[in-house]
Parts: sequence; structure tokens; C-alpha cells
Amino acid sequence: MRKLLFVFILFCFVLVTTACASESKETSGTDEKNWEPEKPIELVAPAGAGGGWDTTARMAAKVFNETGIIEQDIGVVNKPGGGGAVGWAYVAGHDASPYNLFVASPPIVLIPLNGQSEYGHEDFTPLANMIADYAAFAVAKDAKWDNLNELFEDMKKDPESITVVGTSSPGSMDHIQFVQIAKAAGVDISKIKYVSDQDGVGLTQLLNGSVDVFSTGVSETVEQVKAGTIKVLGVTSEERLEGEVLEDFPTAKEQGIDATFVNWRGFFGPPNMDENAIKYYEEKFKKLSESEEFAEIRKQYGWDEMYMNSEEYKTFLDKQKEEIKTLLDELNLSK
Amino acid sequence: MLNTLNKRVSCVLLLLAIGYLVLAYQLPTYPYTPVDADVIPKGLGFLLVGLAICLYFAKDSETQEQKARRNIPRKDIGALLAVFAFVFLYITLLEILGFVVTTAIFIFFCSLFLGYRKHITNLIVAILFPLFMYITFTQFLKISLPPGILPF
Amino acid sequence: MGSIEGIMTGFQVAFSMQGILYVLIGVFVGTFIGMMPGLGPISAIAVMIPITFGMDPTSALVMMAGVYYGAIFGGSTSSILLNAPGVSGTVATSFDGYPMAQQGKAGKALAIAAISSFVGGTVSVVLLMLLAPVLSSVAISFGPPAYFALMFMGLTAITSLSEGSTIKALISAVVGFMVVTIGIDAQTGTQRFTFGNVNLLEGLDFLVIALGLFALAEVCSLVINRKDLSMENAHKLGSLRITKKEFKEMSGPMTRQSFLGFILGVLPGAGATIASFIAYITEKKIAKHPEEFGKGSIKGVAAPETANNAATSGAFVPLLSLGIPGSGTTAVMLGAFLVLGVQPGPLLMTDRPEIFWGIIASMYIGNVFLLILNLPLIPYIAKVLKIPRPLLISLVIMFSIIGVYAISFNTFDLYMLLLFGVVGFIMRLYAFPAPPFILAFILGGMMEQAFRQSLTISNGSLFIFVQEPIALTLLIIAFLSFIFPLIKLLRKRQA
Repeated sequence: MRKLLFVFILFCFVLVTTACASESKETSGTDEKNWEPEKPIELVAPAGAGGGWDTTARMAAKVFNETGIIEQDIGVVNKPGGGGAVGWAYVAGHDASPYNLFVASPPIVLIPLNGQSEYGHEDFTPLANMIADYAAFAVAKDAKWDNLNELFEDMKKDPESITVVGTSSPGSMDHIQFVQIAKAAGVDISKIKYVSDQDGVGLTQLLNGSVDVFSTGVSETVEQVKAGTIKVLGVTSEERLEGEVLEDFPTAKEQGIDATFVNWRGFFGPPNMDENAIKYYEEKFKKLSESEEFAEIRKQYGWDEMYMNSEEYKTFLDKQKEEIKTLLDELNLSK
Repeated sequence: MLNTLNKRVSCVLLLLAIGYLVLAYQLPTYPYTPVDADVIPKGLGFLLVGLAICLYFAKDSETQEQKARRNIPRKDIGALLAVFAFVFLYITLLEILGFVVTTAIFIFFCSLFLGYRKHITNLIVAILFPLFMYITFTQFLKISLPPGILPF
Repeated sequence: MGSIEGIMTGFQVAFSMQGILYVLIGVFVGTFIGMMPGLGPISAIAVMIPITFGMDPTSALVMMAGVYYGAIFGGSTSSILLNAPGVSGTVATSFDGYPMAQQGKAGKALAIAAISSFVGGTVSVVLLMLLAPVLSSVAISFGPPAYFALMFMGLTAITSLSEGSTIKALISAVVGFMVVTIGIDAQTGTQRFTFGNVNLLEGLDFLVIALGLFALAEVCSLVINRKDLSMENAHKLGSLRITKKEFKEMSGPMTRQSFLGFILGVLPGAGATIASFIAYITEKKIAKHPEEFGKGSIKGVAAPETANNAATSGAFVPLLSLGIPGSGTTAVMLGAFLVLGVQPGPLLMTDRPEIFWGIIASMYIGNVFLLILNLPLIPYIAKVLKIPRPLLISLVIMFSIIGVYAISFNTFDLYMLLLFGVVGFIMRLYAFPAPPFILAFILGGMMEQAFRQSLTISNGSLFIFVQEPIALTLLIIAFLSFIFPLIKLLRKRQA
């Protein structure tokens, strides 16, 4: 009963706060040094409702407002299309506005390189990175390979016999994360057979033996490994991950393959954002990252904490872009 | 040569198929797959060419009723075009003036144009309905619609 | 027997005061959101996720499941009354539901939809309860060749979806298939027919096509006939009562499609939309009077409505027992589980039996609630038809616009909607049927991907399609269903 009441109160609360938010506009004067938002902030998820970007955006907005780290109302706006390109074009159109942020992850580096977006991470203002996720490469439980090296040895010998499946199309995340590790292990990456399969069908194909390797995120594999239906040959983090089951996954690095891949997720602003506004958001996102509430959400979704401020973030992104470009060039996929 | 309806429609479809095929032949190749992205489109293009040719030689088998459907009085064509113009304006202004204002204006004038004469009811519906939708979407469901010139 | 104990726990959870309340909230919110233009189960679940955060997982998930099938349940209303399907799973319902409403039988159509949804929902929950653990192996039995064969089988039924010229039906289908090739190709990342426009990279959304070809094209006809008094019937609600004879007529499709819909729902990637179309097609094929379909057939409403609800329960099999989300909707549902700290997967049934069985048991109550919630509301909902024609036209247009905007959030898709409205109207004028177009749009895309995945796996060998027993069986069925009408035709000619 109490929970029920809570839901209703939440509904009413949301109504009242938004009503108030629109009225309290004129208050809070600003001086040059300390920028403060004076109107509701728009947080763009460049995808439809329910995806990873949307979830991150909605959760961040929720914690920001509920804990009062940012008092201004934060509204999540979905701008799906073009794997993000539509949303990026939208934010790029709000030059220098400190009220139009968006959530991003490696596709903002990958998609411009694939020639599918005219905007890349350089065109925006990186504010802060929040979380990290890693890739995992899984095979069926009765597969003949027990570690990445055995798999890659077979791929070198007979590339035609092994099919890799992922959710995204070639040249984007699931493909590139596998290629990056395979290349470091000395596999001829132009011979890798990769098929793309939407809506979780990839795992199905692994379980029924249609394909051999599943390139995915770490968290998607945990439950299956627990149940003993698949085994994870390697993950792409620097060091072993923490947590039950997760700690048993060997990294590619410890298997002698010198490569990592981070599926980071963070927040960006439009181009030419004001220094003071950047500072403001850096600080707020840091608070968010350190808050207990957000830690709880990270735990539920199995995300790792990975805070970077604007400067660090930019350097990190430039480096990742460099690495990926080399791969795509070798595959002749870059445009 | 184009004396029957089927023949005329067939020509339009043939043009469509050829346009599609031209584009399909320009698709870039991707080296790592046995069946490239252009295979199915090319097949579809040729299939449509074939079907268009079949249609060209097919007898007109329309019923009187179907023929009558195309006999639209000129006045109604005008009305139809006007409604399309309304919708076009609606879409164009949607993100500029905002959902509530544009929708209200659209509902009121489109209904008026189509012959609805109860102005008061029209006005009430035109204002309350979009407002209800807007509040449901933005406040309860947290799905944003363009606010436009409204303050909330 | 652990599972009997589990089922008992499930019923205890579902029939507790709290359980019942949350189911009620869930189905109510779900129906409401489902009736909103453009908002289907995906958005319904997504918008509810932040609200459930921190709630007791069992109650929250029971509620979320209610939201899910409630939204499917509510979606049929606008298909029947306005020819404007708000969710993709209810497009097939409009084929016969809308003609029924036009004949002054709107009340009956809505009642049939509600009852067959209820039957589909309930039968499939029984199946879910009895077979969930067993069926998890079925869920993963389909490889790419089998998916190809399934889609191919669906496509061979295209000609049966239309009366009149077969050539025109095939042309519609080919053009529909062409439209779905627009966008980034998943297997190669190649941009096809996008003209460099970012808005086309992900292709056109299903609802843009469906609302354009059905709702807006219908608006055009309404504008032309706006003063036509012979359509007076369309204002009538008609009786809700379903006669014994009608009920008998419905019972066949309801029984068959509960099973078929459920199985299709179990298969990842198939889902409610495909189930509803395949239900419609099979019922038409086996009907004694197939010519009634498309003109207000009771079976034509009952079949897709049973199937889409049955498929919804079916989709819980891979989600709950394997942790595999088989569709966009169940993927969001998986997100809802994660937020609450519950990991669906092979261990859920043993680790958290109260959740696993609680959700399933709650679906019985949910379906009953949906029925008693919806039936009395029908006369009020159907009042929509009393709205004077000019105002109704404006409102249908608004409904379509908001429906598309709530998915894509940009005006480009709205212009596309307008374009497909024009295309749909022209197709009507020249007697090109729209159902084959939409069917090819749905099945064609998946068929192409499955075909090419298969060939990548087999390194280009076509034998892969006959080596797999499921694929082979489906292809033989497809072949036979193609051949039989031809043989019939030949016999007729000889006679």
C-alpha cells in the first residue's frame, strides 16, 4: 500500500515541481564567474526511449533533480535516428547554448568515421565521462576453445569456419571491439566473418550453434555464465573486473594480448560552450558520479565508475579515435 | 500506346523500377560478405520491371465501382489539396510555434474549412484537446513535445 | 516437483492484496498509454521505469508486465474506430475492424477485440505456465535459415491478402519491400537509398508507413465523402452483444491463434506484429468464405487480436527463462528488470521463484481486469464516432501526427507520413491493395537479413537452407501453400 501511495505522490510531485520550475525563472542572478542555469536544462538522448543512452540520460536527470545537485528541471528529450546522427545534428544547431546537453558513448567516435554523420566528438564540448562498460567475447559452453589465444589460433588457420555475431552493423561497436582485440593477437582482420543481428537474437544464435562467437557487453553475459550455457573467453578491460562471476573473466591483457576497449558513457554539450558553464557541469557531474544514489544505479546495471573531466575526456577521445581509425583504414571501411 | 489505364500505370512503375535499379547499381561494394547489400535491391528492381510489363499486357479487370472511385468532383479535389496544404503547414509550424498552439489552430481551421459550423464547440475542442495531450505527454509520461512559444 | 511449489508461490504473490493492486495499476496505465497515439508498449514501459526505481521488485515487475500487455490490449481501439493503428501489432486488426465500424458495428468490433484479446492472453498464460521451462529450447531453436524460411512462408501468403488483381498485389508487395531497403544495411553498414539524408539512415519507421497508408489515405476518402449521407451508418455504435452464432464463428480462430500466436511470440525477433499478420493470413486461407475478409469479418478481427496478445505472453518465455529479449519491447522490459536488481535468465526460476511465477500468475488476473475494465468502457470510447465528420477528420490527422512525432521527434518523418498518405490514396484510386505493401515491409527486411546472415555463415552455400530441418519444413509448407491454389485453379478450369 505504501509503495502505491509513493507512486501517486511522485506523480503529483512531478506535476508540482514542473509547474513551479517554470515560474521561478527570474530568480538567481548570475555574475560572470559562477555560471548557474536559469531555465530548465534539456538532456538529449540521441535514440528512442528505452535504449542505453535513454536509460543513462533518464537516470542521471532523475538523480540530479532528486538529490538537488542540480535544482533546475532537467528534461530528457529523445532524438532518435541515424544511430545518433540526428540527435548530434540537433545539438550542434544549439551553438554555445549551455542548456542542451547530450549523452554519448563510442558510436560518436565510430559513426563519423563510417561516414554516417558529419559531426564527431571534436565538434562538441566534452563535459564529463561517467561510466565504463567493457566488451566480452563469449562462446557456447561446449565450444572447443577455452581462452582467446586458442580461438585466435583457429581463426588464423581457418577463418572461414568461425562466425562472429554482434548487435551492430560492421564498422560499429560490437564489430570494432572484436576486431581491435583480434588484430592485437595477430589475426588477419579482413578475414573475420561477422554477422549482425538485432534485438538480442545474437545470443540466441550462439546458443543454438548457428554462430561461434558473440561479441557483446560484459553485463549481458553474466547470467548465462552463471547458468552454464556459455563461457566468456575474454573481456576488454585493463584489469579484472570486480564482482561475483565478473572476477572470473580473464582479460585479454592477461592472456598476452595487448589491447583494451572501453565502452564509456558520458555527457557532452554543444560546440563553443562557455568556460564557466563547462566548469559548472564538470563539478555537478563529479558530484553525481560520487553520489550514493548514482552508485546504486551503476550497481544495478553493472556499470563501472569512470569519471573524467572535460580535459581528460577530450584527450581520451582523441586517442580512441586514432586507434579506431587505424582499424577501419585497414578494413577499408573508413570514409 | 497508352490507351488503357494499366498501360499508363505500368509505365509509371517501370520508371520507378528503373530509377531504383540505377541507384542499386551505384551502391558501394563491401568486400567481406558473400551476398552484398546490392543483391536483394537488384532482384527487387528486376522483379518490379517484370511485374510492370505483366501489368502492361494485363486486361483491365476493374469493376464499375472501382472506376467510379476515380471520378472525384473537381470541388472535392480542391478540398483535398487544401487539407494537404493545412497538414503541410501544421508540420512546418509544429516545432516553431509548439505543439499546443499549432494543433489548436489546425483543428479549428481544418474543421471550419470542412464545414463544421458550431464555432464554440470547435474552439473548445481545439484548445482543450491539444492541451490535454500535451500535459499527458510532457508531465505524466515525461515524453517531450515541442513547447514552442508557450512558457511551459 | 519444484515447479508446482513455484506456481503456488506465484499465485500467492499475485493474489495478495498488493499483487492485485499493482496488476490493476499496471493494466490501467498500460491500456491508457496504449490508446494514446504512437505510444506502444515500448514507450509505456520506458516511461514507467524511473517510477519503479526503489520499489519492491516483485510488485514493480508485476505492474510492468501489466503495463506491457495492457498497452497491446489498448492499442486496437484506434485501429478499429479510426483506421489509425497506434501500435504495429494492431495494424492487421484494422483490416476488418474498421470496415465493421463503418457498417455501424463498432461496438461489436471492439467487444470482439476485447474478448479475443482476453482469450489469447489467458490461453497463452496457461501455456506459459505449463511450458515455459520446456519452451526455452524452442525459443533458441531458430537459426538464421529458419528465420528466413519463416519470413518467406509469410510472404508467399501475400496474394491471399488481396482481392482482385494478383499482379497489383505483387507490385504493392515489391514496392513495400523496396521501401524497407532504405537505410543502413545491417550486414555491411552500406547506406542504401538514403540520398545522404541522416533522417533516412535508420530507415522509415513502421508507423510512418502504416499511419500514412491506412489513416491518412482514409482521411482523403473521408474528405471526399464528407457530405455523403449513405455513410450515416458509421456514426452508429451498434449493439455490443455477440450472438451465439458469432461466438461460435470466433471460437475457431481464437483457439488456433492462441497457440500459433504464442509460439511466434516465443521466437526472438518474431513478436506481436508478425504473429497478428500470420494469424490473419492463416485464418483467411482456411476460412470457408475467405471473400468476407477485409469487409468486416468477425474472424478477421478475432484472429489478429488473439494472436498479438498471445504473442505478448509468448515473448516472456525467452525473457524470463533465458534472459534473451526477443524484441525491442522485451529489451526495454529487461531494462526494467535490471533497474530493480533482478537478472532474468536461466537461474531466475530457481533463484527468484516468487518473481518468475508471480509475474506469470499475475497475468491471469491482469487479463481478467483488462476485460472488465474495457467492456463497460466500449460505449464511451465508441462515442468517438459520434464526433461530426469535419472535426473527426482534423482529430485523426492530429492523432497520426502526434503518433509519428512521439517516435521520431522530428518533422522529417512527418513529411514522410504525409507523402505515404498521398501514396496510400493513389494506391486506393488505382486499386493497389495496401496490406501486401505493409506485410512486405515487415517481413521483407527481416527476410533479407536472415538470408544474408545464413549465407555468410555457410560461406555462400545455399545448402544451408535445406540442411536445417526447421528451415526445410517451413520452406516445404511455403511451397505447398503456393502450389495448392494453383492446382485448385487448374481443376476449376478443367471442370
